Amino acid sequence: MDIVSGLAHGFQVALSAQNLLMCVIGVVLGTVIGVLPGLGPPATIAMLLPLTFKLDPTGSMIMLAGIYYGAKYGGSTTSILLNVPGESSSVVTCIDGYKMAMKGRAGPALGMAAIASFIAGTFGVVALMLVAPPLANFALAFSAPEYFALMVLGLAMVVLLSGDSLVKALLAMLVGLWIASMGTDLFTATSRFTFDRVELLGGIDFVIVAIGVFAVGEVLGNMEPAKPAEMLPVPKGLRNLMPTWDDMKRCRFAFLNGSVIGFLIGVLPGAGSTIASFISYGIEKAVSKHPEEFGEGAIEGVAAPEGSNNAETGGALVPLLTLGIPGSGTTAILLAALVLWGFKPGPLFIQDSPELFWGLVASMYIGNVLLLVLNLPLVAVFAQLLKLPAYAMYPLILGVSIVGVYTSASSMFQLWLLAAFGLLGYLMRKLDYPTAPLVLGLVLGDAMEKALRQSLMMSQGSLSILLRPIPTALLAIAALLLLVPLVRKFNAYRVRVVEREVG
Amino acid sequence: MKRFLRSGDFWSGLALAALGAYILSEAHRWVYMSEDGPGAGFFPMWYGGIMVVLSLVLVAMSVLRPARAAEVRWKDVGRAFTCWIAFVGCVASMPVLGFAASFALLTWFIIQGMFGERARIAIPVAVGGALGFYALFELGLDLALPHGIFF
Amino acid sequence: MPFRHIAAASIAALALAAPAAADWKPTKPVEVIVHTGPGGGSDVLARAVAQMMEKEKLLPVRMQVINKPGGNGAVAAAALYEKKDDPHTIGFITSVWIAGPLTSSEAKITLKDLKPIAGLLLEPAVFAVRADSPFKSLKQFIDAAKAHPGELKQSGGSVTSRDNIVRLQLQHATGAKWAYVSFQGGGERLAALLGGHVDIMVIEPQEAGEQVRAGKLRVLAQLTEKRLPGYADVPTLREAGFDVTPTRQIRGVVAPPQQPDDATKYWEGRFEALRKTESWKKYIHDNQLEELFMPGAEMKKAIADIENQLREQYQLAGIKTVR
Repeated sequence: MDIVSGLAHGFQVALSAQNLLMCVIGVVLGTVIGVLPGLGPPATIAMLLPLTFKLDPTGSMIMLAGIYYGAKYGGSTTSILLNVPGESSSVVTCIDGYKMAMKGRAGPALGMAAIASFIAGTFGVVALMLVAPPLANFALAFSAPEYFALMVLGLAMVVLLSGDSLVKALLAMLVGLWIASMGTDLFTATSRFTFDRVELLGGIDFVIVAIGVFAVGEVLGNMEPAKPAEMLPVPKGLRNLMPTWDDMKRCRFAFLNGSVIGFLIGVLPGAGSTIASFISYGIEKAVSKHPEEFGEGAIEGVAAPEGSNNAETGGALVPLLTLGIPGSGTTAILLAALVLWGFKPGPLFIQDSPELFWGLVASMYIGNVLLLVLNLPLVAVFAQLLKLPAYAMYPLILGVSIVGVYTSASSMFQLWLLAAFGLLGYLMRKLDYPTAPLVLGLVLGDAMEKALRQSLMMSQGSLSILLRPIPTALLAIAALLLLVPLVRKFNAYRVRVVEREVG
Repeated sequence: MKRFLRSGDFWSGLALAALGAYILSEAHRWVYMSEDGPGAGFFPMWYGGIMVVLSLVLVAMSVLRPARAAEVRWKDVGRAFTCWIAFVGCVASMPVLGFAASFALLTWFIIQGMFGERARIAIPVAVGGALGFYALFELGLDLALPHGIFF
Repeated sequence: MPFRHIAAASIAALALAAPAAADWKPTKPVEVIVHTGPGGGSDVLARAVAQMMEKEKLLPVRMQVINKPGGNGAVAAAALYEKKDDPHTIGFITSVWIAGPLTSSEAKITLKDLKPIAGLLLEPAVFAVRADSPFKSLKQFIDAAKAHPGELKQSGGSVTSRDNIVRLQLQHATGAKWAYVSFQGGGERLAALLGGHVDIMVIEPQEAGEQVRAGKLRVLAQLTEKRLPGYADVPTLREAGFDVTPTRQIRGVVAPPQQPDDATKYWEGRFEALRKTESWKKYIHDNQLEELFMPGAEMKKAIADIENQLREQYQLAGIKTVR
């Protein structure tokens, strides 16, 4: 079935009354779950699975997929308003999103998150439709050496996120690497840094670290002055609730960046939307004309990661639907769902079940539109949250943090970790250490170590395996990214020298 | 000369150097390189080692260039730290008092203790907030929150 | 009221009450603890079982799946242990619950501390290579590995998993030697094989099924005692000439340590009834699993056997065991 007829057939399927209803339910539910920290798509989809047995599989898949990409829309809400990441892929959005909210621009931040999500999400579906099979084979060429180079590229972002002190940023990143290595080593079954606690055998979930360091740390920091400042100015009038045309123009590249990076990284099994959001944020900052604004409320710093985590959903469906390989936690459950419904996900899936594939693709177009229409008015609703006085806001943030952490693992130990990381976040602020590199090191460190060891195992100890085409290209880009700030500093220095000569 | 003793960089640098040293001492016990490839100790040795080096660089910079080191305003720390202790207390009391009661106490403390609002504002907001969370998550979404004597 | 009437009434009441006490039935929803997050193997199985129990009307109450991931099953084991004598809690176990505590001293609770209810099934696996690989039989692979030691590569899970143990057993039995590359997720392992980065892997029959049908993978041998219906023309390890017994990947149900015997007997009975139903038979067939039912006592022995076998294999491989 070629693309045009497939898509036409797909829209016929997706626009049926029942499937449209399923789509609506899915995306609404997804948005709600995304907004609430602690409740994520994997758990929700697993809970809904038994209900779907009585329903039509195509409709059920449309609904579950709606939850999957809908959650990416909602995840930015608490990130921007409360500095608490709603989804693990929204951690990066906290960095600039919350700062924007503090400057009275919560509305534009939320609106831009929705718009970028729509653009990149739609791009992801288009790409899924057009290039899925050949891209899937390309993805298979990606293995440990390529992952390693990708992770190095990600860690090079540290340089871009370093703000004033590179040494402190690197130290924060190294602490992140340390936390990442806590747990049982996959390759040798050795326990590392577990302090004899069974809860640490699986390592520390980075969402706990992010919520502790970002949200709790920020609240503690705000407690310092005797009369803690009133919260965020609420924008008056609709004009202030939406991104301006100027904002949209600034984010032109961010839309492209988020879409492409998110989709490509989504295609790689195991990479994940968090990595995608970090990398697109880093690239955005690297090419920006005002890099110093990042971390202080640059709207592109919201558009790029939010876009990429949506495009990633389209990408993650590529290996699932064309090869039967799940790339992430949520796609693993979707795979289990397909199997339970009697489908056979694998290389012959699209051929065997075209109505499911095309119906799903068509429904994703519809779903993204629905989500945009749903989320933009919600910006006004959520922005009202900021009318709360400061004394209610901070307990709210702490409450959301506690509930978010506890419900994701039902363990008091995680709450103790939250308290510890809250203190760490506060100390880092006090001592002027940037917090983003810590989270970056945590997310990428584990993956990087695994990729390096896998590569060396594959090459019997020889580093030359890293000289394959893709890793070389990625490492070269990383080197370039590292050079950009140096070149900038050098140019600035030259300008100052010239000015001194002339003046 | 003694200015560096007040600088945050100096002490945090020393603390990180100590952490790095600890990491190295643990990593020493694990296999660095085996015939199958790098062992469990490979990565920690590297990042631990770099951590020690960089943190000592930081310490050195704080001693030699005190003007650029972070000036920390320590007097305000007291309030933030008190708030943190309250948070820890809240977590500690959850298995005993349950989520709603512990969180209500924390909220009340923040509103009255930290913000100085009156009890007639603090207590209703605290109780309302705690019950709101409970209603939404425990009752509405069927997600377990810590239980204790109260709910 | 005359004393003899009271006495008669009391005796009658006792006579009616006694059988009721012996026939324990659950009175509130039963919690099923699993050690994976949503979508993980045990979670999917538990949910499927809950659904089957409901469909076949085997339980008066519903089953609720409680996810306690972390620590290779250690967190779930600890949670189950803390339930002490609760008759309304059970847990789904896999061989990971046996293997984990062998290498982690942090895990304080082992399966010996819990009460086995029943063994439900065995998870078989197969050796698979790419369809365009030069190896048409496991023997060819082993011979090539002998000729070029360390050059061929197998992708798999943790170094303590069945994938690696069977590799170690084969290496020991044949003198061949090939490398093992651990990947965290099943998707990554399969991608590594399909992409040509490794040469062979141990994979679940169901995962392999679709790839075989599409002509991407070839199955060389199966790690089972009898041939699976879906792979009727693939030899088992023994049939292929290898005197190696892979460790059994068992899935079963356990109870908290002090659960009352009548409750445990009840659960054993329910699971035995389940295995006779059409839903269960269909599940086993569709997922290409190996049927196996072990009552509690037999399961206890099977667990001990697996533990000893694993300990021996780990020590031979130089993996440090702590108990």
